[in-house]
Amino acid sequence: MDQAYIRNFSIIAHIDHGKSTLADRFLEHTGALQAREMEAQVLDAMDLERERGITIKAHPVRLNYTADDGNKYVLNLIDTPGHVDFGYEVTRSLAACEGALLLVDAAQGVEAQTLANAYLAVDNHLEIIPVINKIDLPSAQPDECKRQLEEIIGLDSADAILASAKEGTGVHEILEAIVARFHPPTGDPNAPLKALIFDSWYDPYRGVVVVVRVIDGVLRTKAKIRLMATAQDFEVDGLGVFSPKATPVDELGVGEVGFVVANIKVVADAKIGDTVTEVARPTTEPFPGFKELKPMVFAGLYPVESHQYSELREALEKLRLNDASFFYEPETSAALGFGFRCGFLGLLHMEIVQERLEREYGMDLVTTAPGVLYRVTTTDGEVHEVDSPAKLPDAGRIAKLEEPVITAMILTPTEYVGPILQLCQDKRGVQKKLEYLKSDRVLITYELPFNEVVLDFYDRLKTMSRGYASLDYHVTGYWESPLVKMDILVNGEPVDALSIIVHRDAAYERGRALASKMRELIPRQMFEIAIQASIGNRVIARESVKALRKNVLAKCYGGDITRKRKLLEKQKEGKKRMKRVGRVEIPQEAFLAVLKVGTE
Amino acid sequence: MLGLYVHIPFCSAICNYCNFNRGLFDAPLKELYVAALLREIRAAADSSAADTIYFGGGTPSLLEPPEVGAVLQACRESFDVAPDAEITLEANPETVTSERLAGFRAAGINRLSYGVQSFRDEELQRLSRLHTAERAAEAFAMARAEGFDNISLDLMMWLPQQTVAQWRESVDALVALGPDHASMYMLEIYPNAPLGDAMARGSWSVAPDDDVADMYLSGLDRMDSAGYVQYEISNVARPGRESRHNLKYWADGEWRGFGCGAHSTRGGVRWKNVSSTAEYISATAGRGALVSERRPLTPDEQLEEALFTGLRLSAGIDLQAVKMRYGVDVWARFGEELHPFVDERLLIYDGRSLRLTRAGMLLAHEMMTVFIRSTVR
Repeated sequence: MDQAYIRNFSIIAHIDHGKSTLADRFLEHTGALQAREMEAQVLDAMDLERERGITIKAHPVRLNYTADDGNKYVLNLIDTPGHVDFGYEVTRSLAACEGALLLVDAAQGVEAQTLANAYLAVDNHLEIIPVINKIDLPSAQPDECKRQLEEIIGLDSADAILASAKEGTGVHEILEAIVARFHPPTGDPNAPLKALIFDSWYDPYRGVVVVVRVIDGVLRTKAKIRLMATAQDFEVDGLGVFSPKATPVDELGVGEVGFVVANIKVVADAKIGDTVTEVARPTTEPFPGFKELKPMVFAGLYPVESHQYSELREALEKLRLNDASFFYEPETSAALGFGFRCGFLGLLHMEIVQERLEREYGMDLVTTAPGVLYRVTTTDGEVHEVDSPAKLPDAGRIAKLEEPVITAMILTPTEYVGPILQLCQDKRGVQKKLEYLKSDRVLITYELPFNEVVLDFYDRLKTMSRGYASLDYHVTGYWESPLVKMDILVNGEPVDALSIIVHRDAAYERGRALASKMRELIPRQMFEIAIQASIGNRVIARESVKALRKNVLAKCYGGDITRKRKLLEKQKEGKKRMKRVGRVEIPQEAFLAVLKVGTE
Repeated sequence: MLGLYVHIPFCSAICNYCNFNRGLFDAPLKELYVAALLREIRAAADSSAADTIYFGGGTPSLLEPPEVGAVLQACRESFDVAPDAEITLEANPETVTSERLAGFRAAGINRLSYGVQSFRDEELQRLSRLHTAERAAEAFAMARAEGFDNISLDLMMWLPQQTVAQWRESVDALVALGPDHASMYMLEIYPNAPLGDAMARGSWSVAPDDDVADMYLSGLDRMDSAGYVQYEISNVARPGRESRHNLKYWADGEWRGFGCGAHSTRGGVRWKNVSSTAEYISATAGRGALVSERRPLTPDEQLEEALFTGLRLSAGIDLQAVKMRYGVDVWARFGEELHPFVDERLLIYDGRSLRLTRAGMLLAHEMMTVFIRSTVR
């Protein structure tokens, strides 16, 4: 296929700015799918995504488009995940493109996420076409959007296309602009094969499906290929493109986007960002930018019923088949029994995994408070990565304790700047930049400890700005911090699953708030329950749950024993949903209390 | 020995807290209903020995004495009712007169259970009861005058706005009358009870749990010192005046219920009649099913239910009797889970019986759930 007629592009957009709707219009307009055979928003393949209205992973789609110039073009729409947790995947998707549509909601304007991804596109040398969507809305302010595009991102807004993906306006114009303004792929068809993996998933029938963009050379069926990062060789069983249904092809040439099936057993073998080359004639240089994806957020997952442990392990194994960025290892908690320490790319990723375990695998889970990956230098000079408060060495053995730091970009209307700055200060942030933009918006850049953000930063930001402020962040390094491990003791016994790592200065207040939250969450039982927060041997807060003194002793009506029994069964069922620690029954939500402290 | 229960689903007014099976009094319907009762009782005739008959409701004292007489007659003809059987009529104070009481007595009633609930008028008004404290005392005196020597009074604690001291006033007033038996329950405001709305309108509240515990304990203390003996979680009596009928519910006994929504337990099966009065009347005339729920107990359920009901008794669970009847060593099976309760002095295990302390009675459900290991439906 002549690479001059190929255009590879992405759509960069904030959640709900209309990316999936626009993609659907492309499918319709190019005849890839008839409107009536379309389920709304075909690209959002997973149920969970559809329900949340966010796209985690969608297939690339090949659109055959006959342009006004009479030529037939192949447009490959490459999806980008819409959440900060998946930032690396976004960079790899963008690396497979020559251009990007920057989609902005005409009523909402530019958001932090759009901004961050637009910067990424610029860094990847992508041509950008701004599209102002939803111009049919009464509240649409296309001129304001144009001003923001110029001012915040530095784009020439004269080229912006006004569109309403919902009503189909501007769609043709966008397709024409893609053909006219995005460059065709450059690459040498005669050079050794070099293809970028930007997605992969597990298919129970075909094994791992790897999605690639060919940079140089040609990928053919039956070719012996090598995945360079893992240095593993496979034979290509099949090649294909998504149009949007999977359609087999014999080869993928320079600039083409398609999938490879090569008897690869686990997605971890086909890492996103890795380069595919040919065993017989390997390329000398892999495509730049490959990184091992590292989980950033960690939490313990435990079955509520201990006999579900092996079921949980099987479920995790299956999930892991399809999600190499997710990590788990067995963990034992004195309080919760046998479970797993799991690592996620971020909080959304964690929620997705949790929800899938509960929904698809029917697991009933206790999740412990999420934390980050700390770096501990012990007195013997060794450096350890600590993903759980339980693994933190004794204070006496710690020479240096470092925590991950993020650079956060917050874009907000000016009226919320005060409280947001206060929040960032409270969260131990360091201000990097504060830019007042003409359009009544402020771009705030802060360095913040990632741990604080994991706790409740985002919820509080959204609350205090009535949803107007938007946030994007990247982990940018580590800094040293006076952190301490705080334990929660229930009836004198430390409950390991409730321990957290906290800044020394915030420990007292956090401890008090946590103890008081626990008092609210733990129901009264037949004895008094003491709740203490402590650092080392020092108790910094205490609360007590008074002993339960009564049940309701109501009249039994004419010998209706069955009704009494059902009442007792219900009570028993309620107890089952709690975790017993020592003699104390602790409800599941208590293990996440640390997240709820101070938010209401 | 069998206990017979007769349900009377009529009331002169519907109390705002009550969710028992009842409806407003309707004289023609009542006549049809009594006829239906007679049909059901006669159809069930099997000459089994019975030693208690209990008219519950609703407000059974709305029946005319001859109607009560007819029902009792039918019971005697159909079952082998002991000459000294305990025959109870639940009564509301406002429904009785000396004449009616004399009539009930002549018909065979030998025990009265008055639903007094409180001796404080404002509390009675909040409960939308029709009587006053004074009327309750009068009704009691009238019953004594007519020769009733076995009278029970019901009181409720945890009423809207009721303080611990106010509860004690009611208990004192009860003691001053000197009934032979008393029941003390906690008012449970079921979801969507009209009382719930009334509470919201009046901004009424109920006492915190700790105060309710104090109400319970202080009420029982008062009864102790007045010479009553607690024999069940919510019941006290002068020695020998325990409710023989209600004991069947707690002591793994058998009873046969007649009337709409009445429950029966016999031969390891529990069942319930249809709740609707109209459906019940038709069913006794051969139109439609009389029984709406039927639950044969598995051996495990039988044991579990014998244990949790038995725990309500002051004497507790007779472990030897359970072993004889069910072949199960209760302590071997449940001891490990029950031990913490023994440590907390909520439960006493002495090798022969398992019984609650008074503090344990307040928390009875905590221990009863230990016995529940299977789930019904």
